[in-house]
Amino acid sequence: MFRRASLLVYLLLCIVPLLLGLGYVLAYSFGLIGLLNHGFTTAHWRAVLLDKTFWQSLGYSLYIALACMSIVVVVSAALLAGFRKNLTQGFLSAFIYLPLTLPAIVAAFVCFQLWSKSGLISRMVYQVGWIANLDQFPEWINDAWGLGIIFTHTFMATPFFTLLFLQVYEREKIQRLEQLAFTLGATPRQAWLKVTAPILWRKSFFSILLYLVFVMGAYETPLLLGRQSPEMIAPLIIRKLQKFNLLDMPQAYVISAAYLLLLMGFGGLVFSKIKTRMA
Amino acid sequence: MIRWIAFGILFLVWGCQSVSNKKTEEVLNQPWEKIEKAARGSTVNLMMWTGDPLINAYMQDFVVPEVKKRFGIDLKIASGQGNLIVQALLAEIQAGKTESELDLLWINGETFYQLRQIDALFGPWTDKLPNAQYIDFSNPFIAKDFQQPVDGFECPWGNVQMALIYNSQYVPNPPQNRQALAAFLKEHPGKFTFDNQFTGMTFLKSMLMDVAGGAQNLAGDFDEKKYATYSAQLWTYLKSLKPYLWREGKTFPENVSVMHQLFASGELWFTMSNNDNEVDNKVSQGLFPSTSRAYVWDSGLIQNTHYQGIPKLSTNKVGAMTVVNFLISPAAQFRKQNAAVWGDGLVLDVNKLPAKWQTEFQQLPKRKYVPARAELNAKALPELAPEYMIRLSEDFRKNIIEQ
Repeated sequence: MFRRASLLVYLLLCIVPLLLGLGYVLAYSFGLIGLLNHGFTTAHWRAVLLDKTFWQSLGYSLYIALACMSIVVVVSAALLAGFRKNLTQGFLSAFIYLPLTLPAIVAAFVCFQLWSKSGLISRMVYQVGWIANLDQFPEWINDAWGLGIIFTHTFMATPFFTLLFLQVYEREKIQRLEQLAFTLGATPRQAWLKVTAPILWRKSFFSILLYLVFVMGAYETPLLLGRQSPEMIAPLIIRKLQKFNLLDMPQAYVISAAYLLLLMGFGGLVFSKIKTRMA
Repeated sequence: MIRWIAFGILFLVWGCQSVSNKKTEEVLNQPWEKIEKAARGSTVNLMMWTGDPLINAYMQDFVVPEVKKRFGIDLKIASGQGNLIVQALLAEIQAGKTESELDLLWINGETFYQLRQIDALFGPWTDKLPNAQYIDFSNPFIAKDFQQPVDGFECPWGNVQMALIYNSQYVPNPPQNRQALAAFLKEHPGKFTFDNQFTGMTFLKSMLMDVAGGAQNLAGDFDEKKYATYSAQLWTYLKSLKPYLWREGKTFPENVSVMHQLFASGELWFTMSNNDNEVDNKVSQGLFPSTSRAYVWDSGLIQNTHYQGIPKLSTNKVGAMTVVNFLISPAAQFRKQNAAVWGDGLVLDVNKLPAKWQTEFQQLPKRKYVPARAELNAKALPELAPEYMIRLSEDFRKNIIEQ
């Protein structure tokens, strides 16, 4: 009874709004609804899919998310390997939570104040005499490689994944498995690479994937720290939705629908692969 | 049975709705005293841009308590501007709502155009306001909003002149036209840019008029042929300027606040504002260095007016009108014009005001960091038809940002 009720609540709160939203977005994108639409058309889809902006934005979002998650996974694993005891007691165990308390917009603003050409670090470097004027400080913000965006998301996600890895480490009793590996003659490096890392990866894979999707959909950070071109997918959608041309609005719905369908397709593919492997 | 219940509910809903709409229309046909009386005890929901602490303080510390004290109206302010307002009203209309959450909107230009496009504005109503008699409708910068006659669908609230702001410590002789700007930037690369939003696009429109040989050549409705000719010349100019802009023109500040911050930190030597008085209030707040100055270059910059509009579906049009009548009163406009308070330009014709107010306006403190408005008026350019802004914004992206 309880399971049925939970399933019903889940369906009502998560699946039904998602399907309704997708239905609305699709109807708008095909011109079936919307004050300025005039009936069924595929023109908006053609405009988006045949224009490089959407694909560029999708690729750029994926690059940012992959770069960010690669760093996060490596740094979090390194923190776990090097400071496991400190993460459970003492100063670091409390300090590690700090970035988790920051909303994305605040973290982006902190990053801007730190890394911009007239920011804190630039001024410090100038005071030390490493650069002759502030203009010589390298471009970390609004740069072509999205370094500011990657830094901010890495800053926010690293504590989360460090704590996640720590939990997995303890829950899966990895320490005992490492001990076993040592008794069988493994070096610490071998034990880490052959025992610890594969378990952490497998048990955290879905969380990493979900966070990757979360970073791909980021809005505030790329808006403040990114460039107008290439731009990540969320700022592109909002630009199409809210900039001066009302007739661009259906394109915003097309991009949302295409992005959502691509993600759902990709998610389905990953899920079925894992299911097949498990079977 | 179920059919009868459904019919009953529908009838009730329709009945309530028509009574409420009818009531509003009836009140609008009443003399002003009755409108004010009907507004008493009501709530007015105003959506406005809340990005400036001085403007917010003017509204929250002066307007809100005054309308409560004088008219018994609770004025609630929600944050939102331009496209957000359009989105909100569009969503309400699309959802088939008959009553808007909003009663009053701070709008102008392309927002006015878009709201008229979707028929979301109530009007004409401004001639009902007693204080409308003082508005300077003979001024084309006030009577027309982006070349569109306001036709009583929005009420002028403030008038501003676009100005370039520079740091006189680094720039003793600021450039006076496009050619001089290009020469200056070749000597001092990276110290100038414009934002990717309303202010930056207004700057581009000013330059488009310069390229076209004057505002008169682009007056009236949008002209595709003229736009194609002159915008091509503008892109050629901007492409030649691009390597010398901030970040070599590969990116632009997302909005004017970011540009102000870059100016305040010294990364930029120029910023710009749609309000010529902004330099005075930013220096007085300590946000800009005291060496900041504002000017309008010889080629001219756009002057425009901002307005208050009422959504067609507002349920408290009488309250909204009462608030607007106060906003355009000599007392409210006098306070607003003071640079230490807000520094917004006047929409009233001082000569039409009672003698007492004429004296008061003449005694307002003079601006310190920008020439007097009368001096700048000779270089003021009118706004262009809204399509110019829409097209410039799109083509700026294609021709400059994505190149």
